[in-house]
Amino acid sequence: MNAEFKLFNISKRYGQREVLNIDNLEIGGGRIYCILGPNGAGKTTLFRIMSLLTLNDTGKLHVLGEEVTWQKNQVVRLRRKMAMVTQTSFMFEGSVYYNVAYGLRVRNTAAAEEKRIVNESLELLGMMDFINQPARNLSGGERQKVAIARALAVKPRVLFLDEPTSNVDPASALDIERYIQYINQEMGTTIIMVTHNLFQARRLSEEIFFMWEGKIIEKGECQNLFEQAQDKRTRSFLKGETVF
Amino acid sequence: MDVIWQGLKEGFLLIIAMDPELVQITLLSIQVSVSALLLAAIMGIPLGTVLALKEFPGRKTLLNITYTFMGLPPVLAGLLVFLFLSTSGPFGYFQLMFTPTAMITAQVLLGFPIVCGLTARAVMAQPQEVFDTAATLGATRRQVSWAIIRESRMGIIAALTTALGRLIAEVGAVMMVGGNIKGETRVLTTSIVLETRMGNDSSALAIGMVLLLIAFLIMLLILSLEKRTFKDERRIQIV
Repeated sequence: MNAEFKLFNISKRYGQREVLNIDNLEIGGGRIYCILGPNGAGKTTLFRIMSLLTLNDTGKLHVLGEEVTWQKNQVVRLRRKMAMVTQTSFMFEGSVYYNVAYGLRVRNTAAAEEKRIVNESLELLGMMDFINQPARNLSGGERQKVAIARALAVKPRVLFLDEPTSNVDPASALDIERYIQYINQEMGTTIIMVTHNLFQARRLSEEIFFMWEGKIIEKGECQNLFEQAQDKRTRSFLKGETVF
Repeated sequence: MDVIWQGLKEGFLLIIAMDPELVQITLLSIQVSVSALLLAAIMGIPLGTVLALKEFPGRKTLLNITYTFMGLPPVLAGLLVFLFLSTSGPFGYFQLMFTPTAMITAQVLLGFPIVCGLTARAVMAQPQEVFDTAATLGATRRQVSWAIIRESRMGIIAALTTALGRLIAEVGAVMMVGGNIKGETRVLTTSIVLETRMGNDSSALAIGMVLLLIAFLIMLLILSLEKRTFKDERRIQIV
């Protein structure tokens, strides 16, 4: 399969500080990929550039087979093939229905179709009982499930997950992990996630990219990396020895 | 105290009696202030949003000018409109002085910076997540901007109520460009000034009561919109 993302010499600076410097990175499709690394390693910046939320300073970026020119129409067209769930899972003011329907409304989906997809997405996440509730009154776990339902409603080819279970209790976290696996296996959605939870990374991901000071210093199959990491910083991090 | 009681009594009777002159003055007051508010909103909300969201040279200067004009003295606003609309001014040809149009223009000058400045503040107070969420769900730039305005609407409604409060109670500008002509440009505030100057304190108080009632009703209308919109919104609970 062709790579969903190709990055060549991508860098990003905030003031004097270089937060990202990727020489060459290719991320294929159809699997669950995990970006690991300590705080400040550049994970979020990489995530934001790949999801077309932040402009790179230098380099070439290919997303879903197209070189990104940052032309308005192209950005919207590519973004419409992706979706993102963040750790805070921001909810628009309004009902759960409104939130899940948002991505469909901006695509001018017909009302009947919108309703069908919203119901289907909420049912999948077991959130139908909350459909008319104000989204901002939900608990952290419930919000996260609504955010996943909202992302699924637009049937993304790639789903970005930024610390998807960091604000939820263990039971909800396990639920969410099950949904992540279901979305990947049954719906064929490529999943790229950032997590600090090493157990979760090991449980879910097939391929891992390890970041350190803005660079990908090691990548590989999950099992291999956890058992035979080459770089001592990776080894130390994966063993939980590094204190950041 | 007698004057106050007398004023309250008179005000009550004026409202009950629906005095034709008072009705005309009241309707003109509403027409002038609400028209000015609508125009200020039509220009101020989009411009405030642009100032808050778009990076361009001079943006900060424009914002500072807007904030400064939020404190524009009504008499100065009246004077500026007077200079433009008087027969010797650039728009003198249109003969708009001493008409409700001139009064609306002066009030737009007062209301616009308030709506624009407070809208900009409300939009700037929104978290980055509003953009991120809307954009990653496939919204176009216009749809993202609309989502941000929608999320800022509590602040925008506050901007509108603040502007309306200033406009409905304003006297200096409408007096200067309207002239307080009976049956043509006399509004509630200029009537209060006139009655006070004539020594009819209780009548002035009575008209003031009507003014307050009108302000209350319009605010209620705006706030009912807010209530409908935010019926499910969580409030900070202080225990």
